[in-house]
Amino acid sequence: MLRFLLRRSSGAILILVLISAFTFFMFFAIPQDPAMLACGKNCSPDALAIIHKNLGLDKPVLVQYWNYMYGIFAGRNFDVGHCSAPCFGVSFNNQQMVWDTIKDRFPLTLSLTAGGLIVFLTGGLSAGLIAAAKRGTWLDKVFSGVSLVMSSFQIYFLGPVVLGIFVYSTGWLSKPKYVPFTEDLAKWFMGLLIPWLVMATIFTANYTRIARSSMIEQLQEEHVRAARAKGMGARYVFMRYAWRGSLIPIATLVGMDIAALLGGGMVTELVFSLNGIGRLARDSVVDKDLPTLMGVMLISAAFILIMNVLVDALYAVIDPRVRLA
Amino acid sequence: MTTLTQTEDAKAPTGSDAFLSVRDLRVQFSTEDGIVKAVDGLSFDLERGKTLGIVGESGSGKSVTNLSILGLHNRKATSVEGSMMLDGQELNGASERDLEQLRGNKMAMIFQDSLTALSPYYTVGRQISEPFRKHTGASKGESRARAIEMLGKVGIPDPKNRVDDYPHQFSGGMRQRAMIAMSLVCNPELLIADEPTTALDVTVQAQILDLLKDLQQEFGSAIIMITHDLGVVANMADDLLVMYAGRAVERGSVREVLKAGQHPYTWGLLGSMPRLSADVNEPLRPIPGSPPSLLNPPSGCAFHPRCEFPSLVAGDGKCSTLRPELPTGRAAACHLTAEQKQQVFIETIQPRLV
Amino acid sequence: MSIIRSRTAQVAVVAATAGALALTGCSSNSNSNAKEKTKTKQDAASQAKAVVFGDAAASTGPAAAVAGARSGGTATVYQEDDFSHLDPGQIYVSDGGLLSKLLFRGLTTYKEDAKGNQTVVGDVATDSGKMSDGGKTWTYTLKSGVKDETGHEINSADIRHSIERLYAPFITDGPVYIQQWLSGGGTAYRKAYAGPFKGNKHLPDSVLATPDDKTVVFHFKDAQPDLPQALAMAGYSIVPEKTDTQAKYDTKPVAIGPYKIAEYKSGKSLKIVRNTNWDEKTDATRHAYVDGFNIEYNHDKDDQTKTILADRGEAKNAIMFTGQVATNELKDVVQDPAAMKRTVQGYAPYVWQLNFNMDRVKDKRVRDAIALAMPSTAVYKADGGAYGGEPASSLLSPTTPGFDASIDPFNRGKKPNGDIAAAKKLIDEAGAKGMKLVYAYANTPVRQQQAVLIADALNKIGLDIQKKEIDSATWYEQMGKVKNGLDLYMTGWGQDWPSGNTVIPPSFDGTQIQDGSSNYSHTNDAHVNSEILRIQKITDAAAAAKEWAKLSQYITEKINPAAPIYYTKVFQIAGSNVGGLRYSTVTSYTDVTQIFLKK
Repeated sequence: MLRFLLRRSSGAILILVLISAFTFFMFFAIPQDPAMLACGKNCSPDALAIIHKNLGLDKPVLVQYWNYMYGIFAGRNFDVGHCSAPCFGVSFNNQQMVWDTIKDRFPLTLSLTAGGLIVFLTGGLSAGLIAAAKRGTWLDKVFSGVSLVMSSFQIYFLGPVVLGIFVYSTGWLSKPKYVPFTEDLAKWFMGLLIPWLVMATIFTANYTRIARSSMIEQLQEEHVRAARAKGMGARYVFMRYAWRGSLIPIATLVGMDIAALLGGGMVTELVFSLNGIGRLARDSVVDKDLPTLMGVMLISAAFILIMNVLVDALYAVIDPRVRLA
Repeated sequence: MTTLTQTEDAKAPTGSDAFLSVRDLRVQFSTEDGIVKAVDGLSFDLERGKTLGIVGESGSGKSVTNLSILGLHNRKATSVEGSMMLDGQELNGASERDLEQLRGNKMAMIFQDSLTALSPYYTVGRQISEPFRKHTGASKGESRARAIEMLGKVGIPDPKNRVDDYPHQFSGGMRQRAMIAMSLVCNPELLIADEPTTALDVTVQAQILDLLKDLQQEFGSAIIMITHDLGVVANMADDLLVMYAGRAVERGSVREVLKAGQHPYTWGLLGSMPRLSADVNEPLRPIPGSPPSLLNPPSGCAFHPRCEFPSLVAGDGKCSTLRPELPTGRAAACHLTAEQKQQVFIETIQPRLV
Repeated sequence: MSIIRSRTAQVAVVAATAGALALTGCSSNSNSNAKEKTKTKQDAASQAKAVVFGDAAASTGPAAAVAGARSGGTATVYQEDDFSHLDPGQIYVSDGGLLSKLLFRGLTTYKEDAKGNQTVVGDVATDSGKMSDGGKTWTYTLKSGVKDETGHEINSADIRHSIERLYAPFITDGPVYIQQWLSGGGTAYRKAYAGPFKGNKHLPDSVLATPDDKTVVFHFKDAQPDLPQALAMAGYSIVPEKTDTQAKYDTKPVAIGPYKIAEYKSGKSLKIVRNTNWDEKTDATRHAYVDGFNIEYNHDKDDQTKTILADRGEAKNAIMFTGQVATNELKDVVQDPAAMKRTVQGYAPYVWQLNFNMDRVKDKRVRDAIALAMPSTAVYKADGGAYGGEPASSLLSPTTPGFDASIDPFNRGKKPNGDIAAAKKLIDEAGAKGMKLVYAYANTPVRQQQAVLIADALNKIGLDIQKKEIDSATWYEQMGKVKNGLDLYMTGWGQDWPSGNTVIPPSFDGTQIQDGSSNYSHTNDAHVNSEILRIQKITDAAAAAKEWAKLSQYITEKINPAAPIYYTKVFQIAGSNVGGLRYSTVTSYTDVTQIFLKK
């Protein structure tokens, strides 16, 4: 296991370096000049040159890249002060340390992910299991039908509709707003309830479908029939033999979803006017804010890689064939 | 050729004193395209300690029959009619609970492919001991000891250590042995073996068959051996049932059926079986055509479209209009007269088998 | 207001021009509509008056009380984007200008009356400034008792520092007028002086002198009659010397105004609370009725409008800073009389004009034809509607002193949607039928829609228009290139203060043509160039206003380098509990210094 983790994490670091290089050099490959945003009126080539120097953009791209990567491990000094490792630089846009901004935005994204995950996993998996167990009955048809409809919804459609009905028109629920749960648990919960539910609506459908289909697939496996032939009860076989096999595709999906959500549920955050990693990512692109963009890219990529390793480790826990191979 | 005419004491349905007695079993699935008559009026008996071979092509209803006995058919989509008496207890219509008590305990099944029939997620030991715990109420330790004992019995070396292995750590033959151990762990009185050796190579096949025979002697179980391999049947079975399109077409002792088959389909099976003694240049003779659709089986004798001899039958097109019944005892469901059958077998079929 | 360069500023303009549905077809509303419009016309008239320079009496606090106002409560502000800067030296655009009204003070500021008449008064200074030497020397005396949030009393050294720090390399985004007036145009001022942080050097007394603690003297090379207005810009707010943290100041500035920063979460929220060291007796213009403002970012204009219109919870106390009533909700707002009472509207200082590349479109008859053909009504409606703009007849905005609605060379009054017949005639006269012209536009939905309208109209008069779409992110950069290879392109410009001086020279001074310049049409006319120099020296604001207007008329009628298309208007809504709502001509949004919470 240790060797597995070591091997995987060294690979992950290599991938992160590649991603960072790709992002960095792509940024300079597209014809855009972040200095233009800080150049005000009467922007002349001279004025631009000063801004280039301020932002460190006057140095060769390779040197800039090296400085950036060096800063992540060793920290750097900026006009606005020392940026200690892990230093993702100082935003071109607002002179803030990128790492501080990310740390500030992350709790919202984490809350959104964790809450949404709980709602859509419980909802999706139980609906999927029930549908699989009652395959062919009206219950199954209702669940499958509803999940098909729900999965074709999009957050940017459903979000405003829910806001329109429950917030603007009736005022039954308050507008989504993030309050740290360390500050006020009830406000945290109420503030994120709508995003969770809307997010869950769409994700639940995916989990219902995948749980149902993989359970049905597993139930047709010979070993499930063999277990029944041994006299094991239907429920026991369902929950032990079939469920165990269904965990692999579900774990894969959960892993990808968690990584994607931690990297920023951009649409959710934009629709509900929440300030998380997703919003930060979008802003960094709009603002041509390379350090922030790099920070967000690397964090998101790291989540994807970490989740990949975790999911692989989970595979080994679920399936002994993977463990020993 | 006196043996050909000699009638042995065929284990045909004669009474209900047999350990397993199946009467007029009809299994139908409803599908989107219509009703599939997977088994259509099947009857047979099996005594303790005996082995019944069931042969036939895929889709002939062999496996469905056995799943129905175990009650493992899909209940919602399948209708099962007729009677299946196991040791005096009616299985058709028995509650799921009662069936669960019987499965793995009084009746057990060996599956064709141990790779798919054993769960990859649990150890061999756990899978063997699971039914033992359930049916005997044994403790964890006792059932583990039982699993080790069973692994030893089926010839797994070092069972104490191998008990904690996962199925994929076993070779194919060992896995099959483990599965046999799993089936036999509660000393079942009825063992249904569905192509138990098909997935194995020939040497291992022989070992497994020997093992089954030994175990049968030890436990006195009745065995239903489903196979399409006549060689396996010749080795293992006492009686033989030949199935075609959901119906039994010939019944008799192994010796009778193999040495003096009475049904053109049986002849076809015999002719398509490779023999070591045969000339290498002699081609096999597969039965022409393909198994019929059970959605829409041929009229009359289901075999008539593939049969070589309908022209011998008296009466114009009788084979395609009238379905021949299978009489009790040593018999074949065919419109040919007994003399014709004997004559065709001696003159046409036997030369092919040499 | 500057040309729109940064994201926030772009948003501001998009918001300013995104406006409204056309309501003219709606008979039940047409009467009240007409009234509304008349009202704004009157407002514009006062907006266009020359600014008055106030004396000591006008500059003395406290400001006249707002009727019915009470103190207390926290206002909510819904805002789409974070402010680009908090360092006042970097603030140029309108949203920052709004915030700086609350946080910072300069030597001068504007005092507005209820009609929108503006007076430049002393803010930290005792009056709007004493001019001598024909406008080359300006002397300011500081009020007593003006303190920053730390309790430090503002002195002349702080004023000197506030100007000097603008020469430092980290200040790049703010206005450069005064630096250039003091030390040389372009970026020459930066070569003359590198700021106070390197070697503790100061500007020489011959440029900027502080003879005593309370006196500051500016010495310019040329007459700078607009200085009091330039000093009122947010970018020239005071940064106390001792607490200046240089580059870091942008995240944590020191307040002198009625409010100070309590908590700033970049890109997320900004909480400002009372600055207890602010004394209303020293302040002639600001009120601080509410205890503070909670500014939340990441609310787009749809969100802002819906939330404020729904008027629930904290939204009752909410105002917009640079947001506007969103087009989608416009109908809900204007058809609800109760909601209309919560709105403010007025002219924004932007004029959208179709620039001709004078290097390429050389025949004036062609330019005139194009100007005549402009479908102004359709174009501004694509960007909003009756509440989002108005057809423009002049390059000066209705908010610019000297603006004269009667000057209408392109017949916008009678044919606001284009005079195709007249234009066609001119094209035929010029023999330009079938002439190929490249029309460039940014790839945003509004500009794309407008491009269709404009290209259609120009094809109708016999031109062959090639549409060229340009990435909106690089739009102004591309337009700013001298050799941009384009013929026609629409840009927006707004005054930096109410004077033609901040409109005509930046757009039409031929001596300033270079890459990145805002003379997008590349106008280089000897008469214009010399007039600019002449008018800039006129020290009487009213006289100057007349001259700028005359020059503007000359440019339009004799050169026509840019066809005026539409003026932009602002339409905002506030929560029902917000009192003291009025439109501020200075900031061109809701006047944040006047508001209070009713309960």
